[in-house]
Amino acid sequence: MINKIPVLRALKNDRWVRPYLEKYRKTLILAIALGILTFVCGGGLMFCAGYLISRSAAKPENILLIYVPIVLTRAFGITRPAVRYFERLVSHNWVLKMTSKFRQQLYDSLERDATIFNSKYQLGNILGLLSDDVSHIQNFYLRTIFPMFVAWGLYAIIVIGLGIISPLMGIWMLILFFLIIFAIPIWSVLINGARQSYEKTVQDKLYVDLTDNVMGVDDWILSGRSKEYLALHVNDQDKFLQINAKMKKFDRWRDFVLQIFWVLVIVSLVIWGAARFGGRSTYYTNWIAAFALALFPTVEAFASLPTAAQETNIYKDSLKRLNNLPAPDQTKHKPIKLTAPFNLVLTDVHYAYPQTNKEVLHGINLNIHDGEKIAILGRSGAGKSTLAALLRGDRVPTKGRVTLNGIDTSKFGDQMSNYFSIINQTPYLFNTTIANNLRLGNEDATDEQLWDVLRRVGLAEMVQKLTDGLDTKVDEAGLRFSGGERHRLALARILLKNTPIVLLDEPTVGLDPITEQAVINMFIKELSGKTLIWITHHLQGIDQMDQVIFIEDGQINMQGTPEKLWQTEPRYRELKKADLGL
Amino acid sequence: MIDKQLFKIDGAGSILKKLAGLEILQAFFIVGQALALASVLSKLWAGQPLDWLLLITFAACFIARQLISTLRDSMLEKYSGRVAEELRQQLLNKVFRDGQALVQKQGTGSLITMSLDGVDEVRQYIKLIYSKVLTMMIVPVLIFVGMLFLSWTSAVILLVMYPLIVLFMIILGHAAQDRAIKQFGNFQVLSNNFIDSLRGIDTLKYLGLSKRYSKSIFNLSEGFRKKTMAVLKVAMLSTFALDFFTTLSIAIIAVFLGFDLMNGKIALFPALGILILAPDYFLPIRDFAGDFHATLNGKNAFKRINELINLPEEKTNDLPLKTWSAQDQLKIKNLKFTYQKGTEIGPVSLQVQGFKKIGIIGMSGSGKTSLINLLSGFLTPDQAQIELQGQKTTTMNIPAWQRQMTYIPQEPYVFTKSLRENIAFYNPQASDDEIKQAIHIMGLDALLNDLPNGLDTVIGRGKRVLSGGQSQRIALARAFLDPKRKIMIFDEPTAHLDIETEIDLKKRMMPLMQNKLVFFATHRLHWLKEMDYILVMDHGQLVEQGSYEQLQQNQGYFCKLMAGMRGENNDQ
Repeated sequence: MINKIPVLRALKNDRWVRPYLEKYRKTLILAIALGILTFVCGGGLMFCAGYLISRSAAKPENILLIYVPIVLTRAFGITRPAVRYFERLVSHNWVLKMTSKFRQQLYDSLERDATIFNSKYQLGNILGLLSDDVSHIQNFYLRTIFPMFVAWGLYAIIVIGLGIISPLMGIWMLILFFLIIFAIPIWSVLINGARQSYEKTVQDKLYVDLTDNVMGVDDWILSGRSKEYLALHVNDQDKFLQINAKMKKFDRWRDFVLQIFWVLVIVSLVIWGAARFGGRSTYYTNWIAAFALALFPTVEAFASLPTAAQETNIYKDSLKRLNNLPAPDQTKHKPIKLTAPFNLVLTDVHYAYPQTNKEVLHGINLNIHDGEKIAILGRSGAGKSTLAALLRGDRVPTKGRVTLNGIDTSKFGDQMSNYFSIINQTPYLFNTTIANNLRLGNEDATDEQLWDVLRRVGLAEMVQKLTDGLDTKVDEAGLRFSGGERHRLALARILLKNTPIVLLDEPTVGLDPITEQAVINMFIKELSGKTLIWITHHLQGIDQMDQVIFIEDGQINMQGTPEKLWQTEPRYRELKKADLGL
Repeated sequence: MIDKQLFKIDGAGSILKKLAGLEILQAFFIVGQALALASVLSKLWAGQPLDWLLLITFAACFIARQLISTLRDSMLEKYSGRVAEELRQQLLNKVFRDGQALVQKQGTGSLITMSLDGVDEVRQYIKLIYSKVLTMMIVPVLIFVGMLFLSWTSAVILLVMYPLIVLFMIILGHAAQDRAIKQFGNFQVLSNNFIDSLRGIDTLKYLGLSKRYSKSIFNLSEGFRKKTMAVLKVAMLSTFALDFFTTLSIAIIAVFLGFDLMNGKIALFPALGILILAPDYFLPIRDFAGDFHATLNGKNAFKRINELINLPEEKTNDLPLKTWSAQDQLKIKNLKFTYQKGTEIGPVSLQVQGFKKIGIIGMSGSGKTSLINLLSGFLTPDQAQIELQGQKTTTMNIPAWQRQMTYIPQEPYVFTKSLRENIAFYNPQASDDEIKQAIHIMGLDALLNDLPNGLDTVIGRGKRVLSGGQSQRIALARAFLDPKRKIMIFDEPTAHLDIETEIDLKKRMMPLMQNKLVFFATHRLHWLKEMDYILVMDHGQLVEQGSYEQLQQNQGYFCKLMAGMRGENNDQ
């Protein structure tokens, strides 16, 4: 039975919810206590008010006789909103505290594979999902876990309280509230859970379809088939609405059933009160109204439970996704200290992606000497980027070795960043000031050093013109800067980092040839003296390199200086001519 | 708070009447339920035996009240669903009629968000407005009338409390709002910052900073938490005020009734009745306050969608065009276009006859793509004298023109559909043999062999992402399968491809361009020699035009551009 509730299954071996419930136990208990107290005060108010009115109706001679209920009524009336206010503050504080930890944990999990992130997770997709997941988990706490605990607390108080006065009534309430708190929510999860999963599938498909087709709207219009798609969409939408309507219908009638149980609770209390206190007019009859009215305000604590339980079906996917992330990287790398010259050597390197048998690279032999400039070309999918990851040690060859001064590059870990820098296709600029972005290369860089590198990459003049100079924010994802300028900033960062080896991973895709040429010239000039590994997709600027290799089908099929290739390889000549438009 | 537009929707009047009827009925049951219970309790108090009939009446009223709210929700669900769907339909119709012109102006993201999340928000908005607002306007009033009969003094006290609650909510709400708005800015900064760090996580790792950055993510979040709590302390005051005044009112009424009872001014039955009714009297406003923010989102979405739907339609010209032939002419004079941001394109004047391959060259931002969009009718020029097959027009947004056009952008869109559907997109009737031939000619055999279900394998975003070269081949295969289209428009089709793929594609593309009118924007030089005529763009202007040889002889901007692109003036 328990195994049929998806969220409970997802919570087994969980690293994201349970550890934090433990960790922040005190605040959680305080919040739950306040939550329970809120409803106790609400019930207390009606209880005292009911008693007060009944007692007053007996026209006591002395006002002191109703003094206590008057004070209590007022006290409860004031305490309830105050307690509720504090409860909300405490619970939000609690959730936000955990969110901070979450974010850190999420970051740490992703940090491990950061460099091969793109190929593994499809960055854009996963980021949106993950940040949604964090807010889903927040909701899971605030809307499910927390109200559940509060309801259980109230349940205990009601059953024990009434059980002390009258055990039979206690047992009856035990049964009734069991149905309200456990049976209906579980029923709801079981029946609607499946529907909800199906609804989500249909909805996701609808979303994907619509996004897909709006992106391809030109083709629909040009093909003259727009109407066809619209009809298709209406059809799918109908399917979604049907299942949605079914779910909502169930929700409505489930809530109705819950209310029937609730009226049963009230009616039971009246009958019990009549049997226990009634019969003839005595002092005790004052309690009847008190008990009958006391539970009215607590319905709010229970009415939301089925919906909250059902919503867990949405959270379970988030939980699963988060729990499937790798555990944060704990490996310690031995400290490595290298001195120049820095030589990269690849001996018979083979590589196949994890869980695949197909080799992307088979048998690469290559020496990259200190200070050499080497260009790597090949079709998309030929394994150029894999080669880059192998060089930096982010991937480990399945066979053969990649070494830097005789040490396997995969043994370096984060220390590799002292020897090896990378500029890739879309250099990332963080949404902070230019100075901060540059200082990522060297935190201790002085302003003079910053200006110096900016001058070297030809951006000093432009930055000087900005009103805030170095403290100007680059807009989100660096959109404020054009393609060429972003590459220049990225280069400035790398210049500050000053590593002996720099790898450029297709840095100029999408730039027009004139900008591209200028960027290439700058790279080559400013990085002279360093080992330069340049992965590129065409031959613009290739003549300035010392060595050119072409990778095809996972092997090197052309290798040599640009002059030698021009003289001996007809294929190279053909490509080169095309590139020049000759 | 409420959009008047909402009540102009079809069927709004009728649903409003029905709902109002239900609300009135519900109010009666609420009063009935309270009176029945009060009467049961006061009889028990007096020592009389339990009045079962009254107790059943109470339960019946309670159940009837719940039934009505179930019924109301069901009606609203249907109505809001229908309205939202109609809205979505209208929006989609608009998108699929105006296409590129609308997408370019509004952005793909915004259109998708509006037609998915926006419409859902509108649905919620309609539900909330019709249920909560209507309840708030009807139920408390009727309960108040009921209470008047029980004890007019108590009723008046409760009446006075009502505006007081609203007033305090508004005052505190305003105080909180300023801080909340500021905080919302903070929130966006933080969540952007978080995503920012995740996006740049590889850069951080490359720079060897990623491990240390983890701590700063935590500290940043904690800083945010402290600020948020400071705001919440104020923001939640408005809910506190609401809560405080409702419970306090009930407490005051209870004490007040207690004194009246002691003094014999009132009997137990009406006093209990008032006490039971008081929470129900305040319930609607509490419900509404809880959902107030949700209505704001819905309201904005509703406004935005209506704006989109009511945007002026793109100007089209329904000229009756023949299939483009060798004799046909296109003459363009003084075509001008200005972007909202002020960038100007044109004036452009040119003449084309028959099947020509026309290259368009220039640096990034020189206006190549704009010219392509104007020629294909995706953009409407501010002014132009165009003569097409001897007929005058001011825009190229001509359905008959677009019906004979193939448009291939830098990154052709691959639908999340099977390979077969993708390739046969312009000619859904194509047979498998024809499709396979197209695949073979465009060099997609390797892809086809790789796909587990052959032609029926679903490709595209989120399924199997294709490389840039493969998407181009798909687009070309589409064109190959629909040879009736005599006009081909290319927008930098090979700019981001590796040179080997580019050369391979070129060999396959050239035969496709035979006997077609081709416009080909590019900055890859080797294409230019294949062109019959070249348009040279610079800063939005058409600065030179002519054949490759003519342009070389001219020694003008074209030659400078070519030299620059080849990297011959390396001194810069």
